[in-house]
Amino acid sequence: MASCGNPIADDSALMLSRPRFDKGKHCVKCKLNLGNIVIRHAVYCRDCFTPLVIVKFRRALEPHVNANAGTSKRPKLKASGSLVLGFSGGLGSAVLLDLVYKSYFAGRPPTDENGDPRGGINHPRNVSVWTSCAVCYVEVSSAIPEAHERTEEMRSALASYPNLKFIPLRLEDAFDESWWCRMTGNPDMSQLTLELGKDGLPTEGLNLAHSSNTLSPKDALRAFLTALPTPTAVSRAIQVLIRLLMFFTAQFHGASHLVLGSSLTTLAVSLVSCVAQGGGHAIREEFQEEWPPGLSPGVERGGSVRVVRPLRDVTMKECAAFAWWNGIRVPGRPRLTRVITGIPGLTKDFVVRLEKDYPSTVSTIARTCAKLEPKGTSVGECWFCYSHLQGGLADWKARISIRSHPNLKVVERLASSSPADSSVHPDQTSRLPPLDTHLCYSCITMFTSRSSRKSSFAPPLIHHQDMPLPRWVKPQDAEEAIPVSKNGELWVRSRQSEKECRESIADFLLPDN
Amino acid sequence: MDESDEDPKTGLRTPENPSSLRLHDRSHLDHTVLVMAPMSCALCQNAKAILKRPKTGQQICKECFFFVFETEVHNTIIQAHLFEPGDRVAIGASGGKDSTVLAYVMKTLNERYNYGLELFLLSIDEGITGYRDDSLETVKRNQQQYNMPLKILSYEELYGWTMDAIVAEIGKKNNCTFCGVFRRQALDRGASALEVDHIVTGHNADDIAETVLMNIMRGDIARLGRCTQICTRGEDTIKRSKPFKYAYEKEIVMYAYFKKLDYFSTECIYSPDAYRGHARTFLKDLEAARPSAIIDIIHSGEAFELREDIKATQKQQQTCKRCGYMSSNDLCKACTLLEGLERGMAGSVITDRARKKLDAMGPAPDNLRTIPHFQSPRPAVSIQSPSQES
Repeated sequence: MASCGNPIADDSALMLSRPRFDKGKHCVKCKLNLGNIVIRHAVYCRDCFTPLVIVKFRRALEPHVNANAGTSKRPKLKASGSLVLGFSGGLGSAVLLDLVYKSYFAGRPPTDENGDPRGGINHPRNVSVWTSCAVCYVEVSSAIPEAHERTEEMRSALASYPNLKFIPLRLEDAFDESWWCRMTGNPDMSQLTLELGKDGLPTEGLNLAHSSNTLSPKDALRAFLTALPTPTAVSRAIQVLIRLLMFFTAQFHGASHLVLGSSLTTLAVSLVSCVAQGGGHAIREEFQEEWPPGLSPGVERGGSVRVVRPLRDVTMKECAAFAWWNGIRVPGRPRLTRVITGIPGLTKDFVVRLEKDYPSTVSTIARTCAKLEPKGTSVGECWFCYSHLQGGLADWKARISIRSHPNLKVVERLASSSPADSSVHPDQTSRLPPLDTHLCYSCITMFTSRSSRKSSFAPPLIHHQDMPLPRWVKPQDAEEAIPVSKNGELWVRSRQSEKECRESIADFLLPDN
Repeated sequence: MDESDEDPKTGLRTPENPSSLRLHDRSHLDHTVLVMAPMSCALCQNAKAILKRPKTGQQICKECFFFVFETEVHNTIIQAHLFEPGDRVAIGASGGKDSTVLAYVMKTLNERYNYGLELFLLSIDEGITGYRDDSLETVKRNQQQYNMPLKILSYEELYGWTMDAIVAEIGKKNNCTFCGVFRRQALDRGASALEVDHIVTGHNADDIAETVLMNIMRGDIARLGRCTQICTRGEDTIKRSKPFKYAYEKEIVMYAYFKKLDYFSTECIYSPDAYRGHARTFLKDLEAARPSAIIDIIHSGEAFELREDIKATQKQQQTCKRCGYMSSNDLCKACTLLEGLERGMAGSVITDRARKKLDAMGPAPDNLRTIPHFQSPRPAVSIQSPSQES
C-alpha cells in the first residue's frame, strides 16, 4: 500500500516520520520480553498483548450489559435477555465471536458428583450473563454481481463454537412478505414503491405508490438497488438493510443486546463516511443505539435491544494480530466490488492509508466524534433507516440550492408545456404522503443525489416503473391509505405502465409505418 | 448577457478578450462540467443549456446560472441576517478567484437589493516575493474596476517580519501556522483602521467541508464546533462572515469565467501542509463520487455540536496582556510566535508545551519588538443573561 504523502509538497518541508520503535524494543508492560507488536508507538510482547485486547473488549462491553447502571461500582453482570452477535465473516466479527464465546459461554461451572452445577442452577456463580447467544449472518450475494452464496461456509466456521445458535438471513428478506409477517406477527400484504422517472431513477418529490407487481424478494431487492442513482447510494442501502434486518431479528429473538464487530478502524471509517453522507445528526448512533428508537410501525414494542460495539477500542491491526496468534478462523467477508463501494469505499481507503503514516488518526477521529451530539431535537424517525429525523430539511435544501425558477410566468409556462410523462400522477400520490418529508438527510440524499458516474450495479434485465421499498417502510396511517369497499374488497391503486396502457388500446392503434 | 465589455446590471467593465486576461484558471472547468449537446435550460426551458451545475447536476443556461448563483448568495446573506443598512463592510481581497468574485457579487447584490452597505477592499501583504506582489496588482485593478476604497496592510508594517524572512528563519515547516495566525490578526487590524463593522471573506463550501474533515481528523473540537458558522465574532473583535459558505469552488470559477473577471491564480509557494493536502485530495475524491458530498459534509457540521460537558471544559476567551487582541491565554498566539522569532526560537513556539519551555528560559527582554496595541472600533460587547436583564 502506497504512502499517502502529499505529492505536491517539497520533501524538505514535510515533517519526518517518527521512528516506529521510539521507546525501545522491550514490551512496555512487562518490560522483560522483546516486543512483538507496535501499537501506536508502544511496543508489546505477545504474552501481554492478548490480555490487553481482552481488557479493552470487556471494558467496552460490560458497562452496557446491565439494563440499569445501579449504584454498585462493580455490579454483577446480568442481561435482561439473550445475546445476538452480528457476524459478517470479516476480521472484526470473527475476533468478537471468539472473545464473546471464550469470555461468557465456554466456561462450565464446577459440578458436584451428579454432574449438576455446584450450588444449584440458580447460584449466582452458575448463572450466565446472557441466557443464550445466537450468531446472525446476512447473506448479501443477491446484491453483489457474480458473488457466490456463503451461508454454509459461515455455518461451518461456527462449528468450533458449540451451543451457539446460527441465524442465517438474506438481504432480500427485507422485501419478503413472509419474513416481515414472522417478525411482526402482522400479515401485511401491502408493499410500497417509489415512482421512478423516465431515467429509471427516483423523482425529486419521492412519490410513494402501492406496488402492483408481485416480484420475488430477490427481484425486488435487485429492482430496488438498480434504481438507486449512485454507487454510494447502493453501498449505503445495503448497509441499512443489513443493520435493520439484524435489529428486527434480534428483537424477534428476545435479545437484550446486539454486539457488532466494528473495530476502532472500522468505527473511524463509519464516522467519516457518515459525515461525508450528511449524517451528522445521527453521529451518536455510530457509537451506540437502542432498538427500537421510538414507535416502530407494525412492530410490537417488547424489550429494547442495545447495540454495542465491544471492539471499538481495538484497531484493525490489533484484531489481525489477535486472530493470528490465537488461531481464529476468519472466513472473510464478501467484498463489495469497486463499482458499488462509493464514498464508504473511498473513506476506508483513505483512513487505512492515513493510519499508516499517522497511527493515532483513527483514535482521534473516534474520540472527537464521541464529543459531539445532535443539534436540536429530533422530530421522529426516518421511515427508511429509523435513525433520528431532523426538522426543516426541505427549507434548508431549497434555500441553499435553487432548483426551479421562481418567476411565476416561467413556472406557469413550464407547467403548461411539461411533458406528458411528468411521472407525477395526482390521483395516485394524493393517497400517500411524499416520502421526502419523512426521510433523514442521508436517506433523501441516497435517493436523490446524482452523479456523472452512473451506478453500474447489475444492469436491469427488465426496466421497472417503480422501485420496491423494504417491508418496514410504512406510513403511520398506511392502513387508512388503502381504500376498502363496502363489501370488504381491497382496492389498490397503482400506476399503469406505458406498455400496459398500450396493450389495453392495442386494437385501436394503427401500425407505425 | 451579451458579451460586451460592460455588464448591463452593474456597469462594471470587464476585459474585452478572455485571452487578454492576466490569468484565467480553467483547470477547474473539466469536460464533465461543460455540456456540448444542445439541450434547453432545465430552469427557464428557453435558452440553450451551456453548463452542468456542479451543485445540482442540472443543465442550465448562462443567464440562469448567474441568477441562481447570485440568488443563493443573497439567500445566505438574508437568512443569516448578516448586514444592517449603513454597515461598513470590508471584503478580504487576495486577488484570487474567491475574493474577486466575492467583491463583484457583493457590489452587485448591494445595488440590486439595496443593502445600503459601504464596501471596502482590504488586502494583507504577507511579503511573499513572486506570489503576493503579483496578486496585489490584481487587487489594485479590482479597486479601479469596482470603484471601492482599498487598504493594504503588510506583515512587515505590523510585525516587522515578512513571510520571506520568516521562512528564511524557520524553513518551510510550520510556516503556515505563522502566516495563518498573523493574517487573522492583520485583517482585524486593517478593518479597525478602516473603521468597518464587518469583514467578509471568500471562504467557499469546499473550504468549509475540508475544514470540517480536518478538524475531525486532528481532534480540534473547538474549531469543529464553530467552523460551519457563517458568522463568527469574539467579544471584542470585528464580525467576520462567509457569504460563499454554500457556493461550490467550481461554480465560483465558472462565475468568474463567464463574467470574465480579472483574478490571479496560483498556489502559495510556501504551503506544503501535507495533512491538509490529504484532506483536500480526499474531498475531491468524494466530490467526484457524489457531487453533493461537499454540501452533505457542511450539513453534517451544522447538524452536530459539542456536548455541553465538553463545552464547559473549553478555555474562556480573554485579551492578550501584551497587545490587547483576543486570546485564550495570557499572550495571544501572534505575540507568542513573534516573541519566538525575535528571540531566535521560532521553531519552539508552535505548541503550548513548547511555549512553557520558552517561559522556563526566562522573561522576554525589554527591547523585544511587539505588536502595536489592538483597539477595537466597537466597544466590547458584554453578554447579559436574561436573569441579569431583569
